[in-house]
Amino acid sequence: MRLEGRTAVVTGGSRGIGRAVSLALAREGASVVVNYNQNEAAAAEVVAEIEKAGGKAWPCQGDARDPDAAQKVIDFAADKMERIDILVNNAGVIRDNLFMAMSDEEWETVLQTNLGGVRNFTKAVVPLMMMQKSGRVINVSSMAGERGGRGQSNYAASKGAINALTRALAVEVASKGVTVNAVAPGMVETEMSSNVRGMADDKIRKSIPLGRYGTPEDVAGVVVFLASDDGAYITGQVVTVDGGMTVAVKI
Amino acid sequence: MADKEEVFEKVTECLVEALGVEEDEVELSASLQGDLGAESIDYLDIVFRLEKAFDIKIPRGDLFPENLLSSPEFVKDGRMTDQGLEELRKRLPYADLTEFEANPNVAEIGNLFTVEMLVKYVEDKLNS
Repeated sequence: MRLEGRTAVVTGGSRGIGRAVSLALAREGASVVVNYNQNEAAAAEVVAEIEKAGGKAWPCQGDARDPDAAQKVIDFAADKMERIDILVNNAGVIRDNLFMAMSDEEWETVLQTNLGGVRNFTKAVVPLMMMQKSGRVINVSSMAGERGGRGQSNYAASKGAINALTRALAVEVASKGVTVNAVAPGMVETEMSSNVRGMADDKIRKSIPLGRYGTPEDVAGVVVFLASDDGAYITGQVVTVDGGMTVAVKI
Repeated sequence: MADKEEVFEKVTECLVEALGVEEDEVELSASLQGDLGAESIDYLDIVFRLEKAFDIKIPRGDLFPENLLSSPEFVKDGRMTDQGLEELRKRLPYADLTEFEANPNVAEIGNLFTVEMLVKYVEDKLNS
């Protein structure tokens, strides 16, 4: 159990990658606060699953776009667990549309949830981590942060920004024992990508060298590594987890 | 009412934790930057620890006023203008500005931030 006695907050932990991360961290011995926005029932299920396996977890509602809400989640977690060793900024949404057709709402929602969420939760947790002289911030980015895909200008902008923020913040807080990294998943089997996969399943699979979609567990495994002692000397990095998709050249 | 000795003790603890200095290095006259080696991130760390230790809220910019050095009205050719000094007096009422006012070389503004300044600020907060 690589995370015995550690404590974690996972934003957007009720479904998809966030769910897999919550379960994986708990499996390694960490206590987990599972943050969600609207999916109360799903979050409760994740908590129940962790508890059934003998772990400790609590659900905690909070909209990533709201700095006060994020602060409340961190306060709740600090109160329940007394320290916060790991923050996984996973909360994220898509509002796909071609750039010229994209509404202000579609643009703002994605930027505020994805990028704003990282800022809001991280800002609330870093003071604690600094005083602990240790902490791991892990941002769930996307291959979209470095690769252009049609209809995702807002999502790509938010993820590219997260990558840059990861690097800048890592340098700022390193002297206080806090590392900041990101994972950049490729095409993963979650609700978020179900439409795209449905529309172009064959074509997408053919473009992935490993020949399959990623699973949420594939991503969670890397998050656990970065959160563990094995990842202690890594900071300011964006680790791509994509089955080779972003390095392949189509011949 | 806050006991000055108690406040100094707790402030010392915070500085030892934040800066990794020895207790006996923390004298009232010691400057955070020059004598105790504080960098910008350390200032934040100090603020967080003071807030926790004394159960007070320190508004960002209260203790270590940001933006003072980035405004062209306040700084010219590496020296603080009269306007800047006026602003400084307002923002740091508990700091001893006499030496700095005589030679307002902005590169040395760090010397203003002393342990005594922190102690005075905290006492003020606790007694208000």
